[in-house]
Parts: sequence; structure tokens; C-alpha cells
Amino acid sequence: MRTFLTATIGGLSTAAIYAITASGLVVTYTTSGVFNFAHGAFSMMAAFMYWQVHVAWGVPTLPAIVLVVFVVAPLFGALIERVIMRGIEGTSEVVKIVVTVSLFVALLGLANVIWPPTQSYTVLPFFNNAALSIFGVKVGWARLIALAVALAVAGGLRFVFTSTRLGIAMRAVVDDRSLLQLNGGRPGRTSMLSWAIGAGLAAIAGVLLAGEQTLSATTLSLLVINAYAVAVVGRLRSLPGVFVGSVILGLLVAYGQQYVSSEAAIGPVSLSGAVTAIPAVMLFVVMVLQPQDRLEARGATRVPTAARMPSMKLALWGGLAFVLVTAALGNLIAGPDLFKVAGGYLFALVMLSLVPLTGYAGQISLAQMTFTGIGAVAMAAWGASGSPLAVVASVLLCAVVGAVVALPALRLSGIYLALATAAFGLFCSAMVFNQQDVMPGLSRQVPRLALGPFKISSDYQQLVLLAVTFALVGIGLVALRRSAWGRRLAAMKDSPVACATLGLNLTATKVAVFALSAAIAGLAGSLAGRTFISDEFGLPASLPVTMLAVVGGIGSVAGAFMGGIFLGAFPIASTVFAANAIGVFRFVSLPVTDLVAFAPGATGVSLGREPDGAAPQMAAGFRAVGESVPSLVVSFAGFAALWLLARLDVVGGWAFVAAVLVFVLAVVPLLPLLFNPEDMGRKLATGIFVGLCTVVTVFIPWDTAIASNGMRALVIVLWAVLVVRTAIGVHGAVPDVVPRGPRTSPDMVGIDTPLTRADAVDAGRVLGIDEDELDLVTGRSQ
Amino acid sequence: MTVLELESLSVRFGGHLAVSDASLRVEGGRVTGLIGPNGAGKTTTFNAICGVVPPSSGRVLLDGKDISSAGTHQRARLGIGRTFQRLEVFGSLSVADNIRVGQEIRRSWSRRKAALPQYLDGLGDPSPDVELAAILTRLDLVALADQPVGALPTGQARLVELGRALAARPSVLLLDEPASGLDEQETDAFGDLLLQLASHGLGILLVEHDVPLVMRVCERLSVLDFGQIIAEGTPAEVRANEAVLSAYLGTGPTPAPGAPGAAPVEAQ
Ligand SMILES: Nc1ncnc2c1ncn2[C@@H]1O[C@H](COP(=O)(O)OP(=O)(O)OP(=O)(O)O)[C@@H](O)[C@H]1O
Ligand SMILES: [Mg+2]
Repeated sequence: MRTFLTATIGGLSTAAIYAITASGLVVTYTTSGVFNFAHGAFSMMAAFMYWQVHVAWGVPTLPAIVLVVFVVAPLFGALIERVIMRGIEGTSEVVKIVVTVSLFVALLGLANVIWPPTQSYTVLPFFNNAALSIFGVKVGWARLIALAVALAVAGGLRFVFTSTRLGIAMRAVVDDRSLLQLNGGRPGRTSMLSWAIGAGLAAIAGVLLAGEQTLSATTLSLLVINAYAVAVVGRLRSLPGVFVGSVILGLLVAYGQQYVSSEAAIGPVSLSGAVTAIPAVMLFVVMVLQPQDRLEARGATRVPTAARMPSMKLALWGGLAFVLVTAALGNLIAGPDLFKVAGGYLFALVMLSLVPLTGYAGQISLAQMTFTGIGAVAMAAWGASGSPLAVVASVLLCAVVGAVVALPALRLSGIYLALATAAFGLFCSAMVFNQQDVMPGLSRQVPRLALGPFKISSDYQQLVLLAVTFALVGIGLVALRRSAWGRRLAAMKDSPVACATLGLNLTATKVAVFALSAAIAGLAGSLAGRTFISDEFGLPASLPVTMLAVVGGIGSVAGAFMGGIFLGAFPIASTVFAANAIGVFRFVSLPVTDLVAFAPGATGVSLGREPDGAAPQMAAGFRAVGESVPSLVVSFAGFAALWLLARLDVVGGWAFVAAVLVFVLAVVPLLPLLFNPEDMGRKLATGIFVGLCTVVTVFIPWDTAIASNGMRALVIVLWAVLVVRTAIGVHGAVPDVVPRGPRTSPDMVGIDTPLTRADAVDAGRVLGIDEDELDLVTGRSQ
Repeated sequence: MTVLELESLSVRFGGHLAVSDASLRVEGGRVTGLIGPNGAGKTTTFNAICGVVPPSSGRVLLDGKDISSAGTHQRARLGIGRTFQRLEVFGSLSVADNIRVGQEIRRSWSRRKAALPQYLDGLGDPSPDVELAAILTRLDLVALADQPVGALPTGQARLVELGRALAARPSVLLLDEPASGLDEQETDAFGDLLLQLASHGLGILLVEHDVPLVMRVCERLSVLDFGQIIAEGTPAEVRANEAVLSAYLGTGPTPAPGAPGAAPVEAQ
């Protein structure tokens, strides 16, 4: 009985913390329309900040709390809204999700930079953990404070939303921003305020949590993911729902901790992670219980250009060229580096799985590495001899699991799929990938493929296999996009409601595309041919995959490859830099390793400024290459020449790699422009510039100038990017970036552009008002 | 013959009754008009008919069968088609592809079904290309076939929505302000098209603020105000109805002869 009471009281105080964070989440979501995946990271930052102010700088408890919760956090929230979130208003749900996911990744990286995990951070609980005795149960003051704060937050929010002008405006803004604007409200300001409040609430939770454990950035950020499960109870919008959900989850977790021992097992299945998995399970149960979402007919956003599709011919030639280039390049890379490059290719293949799902159908998944993990483990279990049949079976398994996971979420709106997949990733980490039978010692080797007598036996062959797979799947996806089904997916992305009124079963279509996506991710796992550790399948590993796939330019096969190589390059760089902390590259005392931790997230956050991703700019150039015969000829001739120089040992391996990168990234996309006869002077300048850059690249003594491989790789990539940027600068921007149209106000139905005087005169004619009277009328109505 | 019937339909948004106890019939082979001032509940009625919003009470009958519990896509398969007041075109696809999607979705569910209504020459042709060409030709969109719809002016985009809906070959078609964005000449041609479609058996429910068009093509009119049907009858009857006049003009004088009952168009 006493243990039960202790657990109950503990559960309620945990519930209090969930309630506080989740209400912050709900406030920002309802007001700004952006579901903040980085909310947990906000709490984490606040906890560390509190440590910094209180422990490191010795500021007393109360002023420290006031500073963190009421000053720093709200300012930070407002800043985030102003700088990042306002830019993504009116973009697709996918972009919104990816931007906050990127923020999550970036903040996590930033925290690891400012507070390196090599050190230990502890904060004493409030009142030195003094306790009070209630019904004979000792209860820490910290817990009582949490409860009291939660009640105060509940009361405070209720007051703000029902009784203040501002609160009512905050509720109105989500219903229709433009409508509020027309009525004289200021959506920007309310939205900013909601981010400030949300960040403040996150900070309260962070400070309350700080006393409970040694601070760990990852654990803290993910712990607050529990708040997502709670928010779903109130359909992400209701504060009372949040409080009910918090109590349920808090108690479940507390009883779980009390009564399920970490050695418990059902048959061979260990329950050591069961308590961690409770929020994920709850999220699913709540989703299943919810009624199907309504469709909305609010007008589809119209973009003035058609989505471009590569032609089948381009896809086939591109695939072939990709395999050949990989084979040639792989030939020149030494043993251990091959393995790392293969890592990048594997990521690229996983990102390819997001092309149909996110690029074509506009849905999102945050758990692609989990599916990769399922594919990998299934292959290890069924295909010890590397049998292709086992690959097929693993892929099918992933498709089925994917369909089952997606079904409850797909009945609801897009944000739920993101939540459900995140929960699925956490669930698998807690209950699947930590099982002895699944990943003995938390690692598992995936056997390499054997096709009849031919067995993949070297890293080089493995790399080529991945390249071939990538090319085939990529060609398949292009074919899919060009088929009737692909057209249907694009249509569904543009307007789900229109598709439904034509007779399309939206749920079935989305489940099918999700299953396809899971299958491709699983294929990557089953063909990986290497050893995985269980952390590689966790949520923190999946988030950057989704993020960089979108940043690379979702919807295009090339974008997936760019994203994959980008992601693959980071581990290379960071291991090398960690090994030799090179002083030269310290920048404001920030080691390059730290930049590497921080950079992926930062790139994702910038997506708000260019929601189409990085690839479109270059893709526009590459696409034109396929249509211009001289460009094609020069491309292949250039590549062949470089390869020949390398083979003849005129240039070293690294100079070759660098030259190829610069050539492919900077020269090739500019070729069609260069062969275009207009504006000769400028073109000549650009041509000479990129030509010179390539030559310079070949003659930089890469092998001797830089000591380590990873460093070289990174510097080369940076160099290539620099050349591209500068070349575009020399030439002037490549046009073709799709402008975002403003959302039409409901009052301007049927008129997509701002009203002009001519429109008013027309309208006046219908009303029987002539032009002179019009000024009188409009004057009166304002 | 009645194809679509609403029986005391009500739709509630929180505390706001957007449609209240509305009953309405749509006959096959003619155009029925649904008019009313801004915010009267016309679009909401459409949404309730095709299952985009759930009614709080009342029934929707199609060919005498209650379809109130069917989902949106099921209702579409039973024969309800529509266009949208706030455009829901597939903006990233070309004009032809927009209509193709309509055809392809229909083909994915209609194989087993008996003959669908055929109101254009070429519609229902076994070759999708012939069918597509027939629709494009009749809507005068041939020249724009490869244009991305996102770049089209509103009027043309509305025609694309119409073509797409026709490609699914519904037995009743709901049109929500289809003529806004068309100029006078185009509106005339559009009226002819509606009459042609109706003469081949299609039931059309038309929401439109262009009064001359409504007066010309509709055989019967229902007038919605504050969610309630306040009048029903032939255009001439409705035009003379006191309640209608006051709904449109406040309590007011007789409307100008050219534009009786014209809804106020708000300029800003
Ligand atoms: N999703 C919704 N939530 C809340 N209220 C709504 C919603 N959709 C419509 N309404 C309200 O219902 C009423 C009827 O709106 P509706 O769009 O059906 O009018 P309408 O007759 O189509 O007007 P218009 O001529 O301007 O198109 C309006 O007061 C509107 O504000
Ligand atoms: Mg309307």
C-alpha cells in the first residue's frame, strides 16, 4: 500500500511536468499552427541554462529561475518565432515539421558544444531534497512544487485564453490568420507571444526536471517527447485534454517503474524497456481511438509552375552514369575510407525511401532508420547465406509493418504521422532493438548478399552493390512518378479533398505509399552488409535522415543522394577531427567537431528561406544538361579526361576526387548556360572562372597539404561548394526558384491577386455604383 | 426524377448553426440553383452533401438511398461530383493531367459498375485519350492542355475543375460559383455548357452570384439565408418573393431591373 501511494504521488508530480510542457506545445501549436518538435530541446536548453546560472555562476535559486524562465526562455522563443517560424508560414506541413525537427537537432548539437558531455552536470533538487510526510509517505518538496506549478499554469492559461483580449486573439489567429488581420488583429505579434509563452513553459519543465537527474542533453530532449503523447489526448488543441492525458501517463509510468522490474520478461521478450515504451504505446492507443479526421476544403495553394519530372531517358542514363562513376571512384579510394563512403551511400538509399512518401505524396516519416533496422535484423535472421530471397522477405516484412504503423495515423492529419512514426521509433528502441535475440550485445551483423555462386566479398563490391541498388530504385521511382499512380500521388499532395470527391480512398493510398517507403528503407537495411549497433536505429538517428532528405531537395532522386552524402560526410569529419583537434580550424574557440555537430541542424532550419531544398537550383542546371548535347559531350569528356589523368598517375587520387567533385557540382550544371549564345561576356567570365577552378583543384597537392583523410574530404567538399556558390555569383543567380504565393483571404474568394482599382470599379458596376460614387462608398466603409 | 435530396439538414460549427433544417431537391436533367448572400451556408451545404463536413442532423439521399453515413470517396463513387469555390485544382499538374487524374481515379473504381451517364460525345469512350480530348475540346481548354494549372487565371482553373469532375462522370454535379472569374462572353458559353450537360440527364446544383446566369439556366431556385431555406420556386417566383428581397437588400426597395437579388459583392 505504501509503495502504491509513493508511486501515485510520484506519478502525479511527473504528470505535472508533462502537463506543463504539453500545454506549452499546445499553446504554440494552436496559435502559430506550427507543431514544435524542438519543444523538448527547449526544456533541455533551459535545464542546462539553469545549471549554468545557478551552479556554475553561483546565482541563488530564485533569481536563477526567474532569469531562465521569465527572461531568457521567452526571449529565445520570441526570437525563434521571428527569425525562423514566421518565414515558414504558408509553407507545406512537411516543411514546418522538418524545420522544427532541424531545430531539435541543432539545439541538441549546440548543447553538446556548450556543455560537452565529457563533463557531468548536476543540480541539487529544491530545498536540498527535503521531504514532507503525507499519509506516512515521504514526498520531496521538489515534487510538491511541481504539482503546485502545474495547477498555477492551468489556472493562468485558462485565465489568459478566456478572459483577456490577447488570449482571445490568440485563439482566433489559428482559425484564420488573414481574417484576424482584416479585423485589425496582428497575427505576427500574437504568434510571437505564443512562442514566448511556449518556451517559458518548456523552461519551467526543464528547471523542474533539472534536479531529478544528471543532465544529459539527449535524455532530456527525448524525455519531453512524452509530452507529445499527452498532447494528442487533447487532439493537440485542448488544454483540459492535456491535463487528463498527463495524469494518465504520469500514473502509468510511475506504476510501471514501481511494479515492472527491469529483469521482467514475457517468455523470451525482455521488458527492460517497457516503461520507456509506455508513452509511445499510449500515443498509438489514443490515435486509434480517435475518429477519422475531417477533410478541409480551404483552397489549395497554387504554385505558378508545374513540378518538373525527369524524363525516363535522363533517369536511365543518370543511373548508368552514377554506377560507372561510383565504380571508377571506388577504385581509387583506399580500404577503410571505402567503408565510410558506403555509409553515405546507405544513407542515400534510406533517403530515397522518402522520395515517394514525402516528395510525391507530401507525407512524412521520422522513423526511417527504424525500418532500416527491421530490414537489417530480418536479413540477419533469415539470410545468413546472403540469399536474395531473404532480402525479399525482409522488404515485405518492412512493408507490412509500415502499413500497420501508418494506418492509425493516416486517418488523421499529417502531423500525426510524424508523431506516430517518432513514437514507433522510440518504441522499437525500447522494446525491439534492445532484445538479446534481436541484437545480441546491442549489435548485429548483416550478411552480405550472394547471387548464386557470386558473393559480395569486398567493401568495393559492397559499394558498387549499393550504387546499383540506388540507381535501380531511383529509376523505379522516376517511372512511378510518371505513371498514373504517381500522378495520383501528386494530385493528392496538391488537394486531398479534391481527390476524395473524385472517389479516391485517401487512407488506402497513403498506407500504400507508406508501405512502399518502409520497404525501400528496409531494403537499405537488408543490403547494408555490415554490422549495426542498436543506436543507429533510434529516433535520434532517424531525425537527421528525414531532415537532410528534405534539405537536399525532397522529391528528387538527386536530392536524396546529396542528402545522403552530406550525412555520410559528417561522421567521417567528426571522427577525424576528434582524433586530431587541430588548432588552425578553431573559430572563436569553437572546434570544428562542434560545428560538425551543429551544422546539419542549422542547414535544416534555414529551409524556411528556401522550402524547396538545395537541389532545385542545381537540378535546374543538371536537367538542362540532359537536353543539351554539347553539354553532355563536354561532361563525359571532362570526366573521362580526369579519370585518365588519375589512371596515368599524373594526378593523385585525392586531386582526382576533388576535381571530380568540383567538375560535377560546379562545372556540369553551368554548362547549358555556357552553351547558350545569349549574353556572351558574362558567360565567358563564368566559363573561364570554373575552368580555372578545376585546373587549380587538380594541382593543389591534396595528399601532402592536409594530413588526414577526413579533413581532406571535408575541405574538398567545402571547396567544391565554394566554387559553385562563387560561380553562380559570377554568373548571376540561376532563376527558377518557385515563389510562394500569399494565402488568399476568404474575402477575396475567386480573386487570387490583391484587389486593384479596376476590380473595385467592376464590382461597383454590378452593384450599380458608378466610378465617382465609388470613392464615396469606399471612403465610408473604411 | 429526383437524384439528390436533402432532408432537414443541419450543420453546426460549435455554437454556430451554419445550415439549419434545410431541405432541397435536385432533379436529374435540369439545373437547380442555390443562391443566397455571403455566409448563408451554401458552401457548407455542399460540404455536407459530399461528406466533407458531418451534418449535425438530417439526411442526404441519393437516388432515394440514404448516404449520410458514407465517406467522401464513397459518395463520389455513388455519383456525386463537385467543384470548389476556393479552388482545389492540382496546381503542380498540367491541365490535361488534372483531367487525367479524374479519369484514372474513376477507372480505378468503376470497372464493375454499369454504364455511367454520358453527357458529352466521347465521354465513356474506352480510350482514355479520346475521352480526354472530348472534355478538353468541349471546355475549350485544348490550347492550354500542357499548361500548369497553377499558372492559369481563376476562370480557366474553374473550368479545369469542372472538366476533372466530369471525368469522374457523376450523376449529380455540385458547382460552387463556377462562373466567377469568367468574362461575359465566357459566362454565356458556360451557361450553354450547363444546359447541354443537363439536357443529357445530369443533375446540376448551382451556387452562383452571377444573377443573369442563374436566371437563365436554372429551372428551379432555392434561396438560403442564415442557413435556412427562405424561398423555393421558379426564378420568376423567387424574384418576386418579399423575403428574398429583404434578405438581399436589408428591408429595401425593389431591386434594379437588371440585377434583381444580386448579392452584395464586397470589394474589401
Ligand atoms: N469550418 C468552419 N468552421 C466554422 N465556421 C464555418 C466553417 N465553414 C463555414 N463556417 C461559417 O458558416 C457560415 C456559412 O459559410 P459558407 O461558406 O457555407 O457560406 P456561403 O453561403 O458559401 O458564403 P459565400 O457566398 O461567401 O461563399 C459562415 O458564417 C461561415 O463563417
Ligand atoms: Mg461559399
